[in-house]
Amino acid sequence: MSAAEDQILQLQAALDGELDAIGTLAFERACAADPELAADFSRAKALDAALRRAAPVEPAPAALRARMAALAAPPKQSWRERFSVPSFFAAPWPAMAASLMVGVVAGAGALSLLPPALSPDQALVAAYVRTQIGGQSVDVVSSDRHVVKPWLAGRAPLAVAALELSSSGFPLVGGRVEVIDGKVVPTLVYRRREHRIDVTELPLSGHDDRILRLDSLEGYHMARWSDADRSYVAVTDLPVAELADFVTLFRAGAKGEREDEIKPKQ
Amino acid sequence: MPGRGHLPLTVSETARRRFQAVVLPHLDEAYSFAKGFVRNGVDAEDIVQDAYLRALAALETQQVEQPRAWLLTIVRNVALTFLTRKNAAATADADIGDLERQGILQAHEPSPGAEARLIAADENESLRRGLADLPLALRETLTLRAIHGLSYREISTATEAPIGTVMSRLARARSALAALLGEKT
Repeated sequence: MSAAEDQILQLQAALDGELDAIGTLAFERACAADPELAADFSRAKALDAALRRAAPVEPAPAALRARMAALAAPPKQSWRERFSVPSFFAAPWPAMAASLMVGVVAGAGALSLLPPALSPDQALVAAYVRTQIGGQSVDVVSSDRHVVKPWLAGRAPLAVAALELSSSGFPLVGGRVEVIDGKVVPTLVYRRREHRIDVTELPLSGHDDRILRLDSLEGYHMARWSDADRSYVAVTDLPVAELADFVTLFRAGAKGEREDEIKPKQ
Repeated sequence: MPGRGHLPLTVSETARRRFQAVVLPHLDEAYSFAKGFVRNGVDAEDIVQDAYLRALAALETQQVEQPRAWLLTIVRNVALTFLTRKNAAATADADIGDLERQGILQAHEPSPGAEARLIAADENESLRRGLADLPLALRETLTLRAIHGLSYREISTATEAPIGTVMSRLARARSALAALLGEKT
């Protein structure tokens, strides 16, 4: 390293507060002895200050802030949980009132005897477990997206984003169709070591937003997100951090694919 | 299968508290940094969101001592993955230097607007553009140092570059911007 380069790095370290006490002292002495160095130093300081003025930290959009805060919010109790029988008895109400309410509780109990309709999430986890036990996770077995995509497109009304993620460690295994909420929907199956990730595409339901949500149901991890055209749910037995990796790759890939579709062919 | 045993969320109370304490307060910086990195606010939102989920997952098992540097490192890695994936020509394991050599992460060509930029009356504007036109490795290093105040060691960890490289990138980035301002006046 030349002496000039050395001096530049020294000046820079002083500017960045990276010199120790002895170094700082030495640099101050050098500045006092060399007006040119002192001028360089104040120019460098002014440049950094100008840069901070020019490119200040920008406030995040309010919607993003709300979504991120929601990630750490305690889970909301559902209506059913709040009014379920155990929490009713746990409430510190006088026993008298409780006994008067027995009839109401019995009524609520009778209601819950009706077979509950599976929510889409429950249905997707049920499908995951069923196919895992049955050993047949896919209807079409292929790691080639050009095989999986048309197969699914021919059976489900949604356009499917069969992405190739094997270079990132998530090889495509194949696809199958599921019936969720009365609709035929495509499901892609990816593999990671001995684990599986099922990605199901659902029609946009209108109140979907772009937020990515992580949940767990029956011990499986789920991720839910949407883009401009579709809504996705991933179900897996992978650790949640790897699921997050997968979702990042998948979203970036899906986005790239959409942009390719929009771009005119050259 | 019955719906019994429905866990509302995997996130533990501990992770949630850590997230609120160490990650949420740095949202503006995370967003700004992501936006500067990919030069696009919409993509920056996606990146921050993914980064925050990773942070939340990591906080289940991890305590963080330097939250800002830690978070910006996650944001940076998600953003880099994002850029790499977006560009089909890039190989998955290319490092930032390879990508630069291939011209993939190069700033938008400096030629068309360069002259206009030099005569831009506003110093802020030319600095902003000058920063945006820097190659990614220089831009991220200078941003992490001058805007976000990370130490050389923290930048070295975040960008997976030796400290010597961090220092020379900083010097190159600063001299490029200084030259830009110098030519203007």
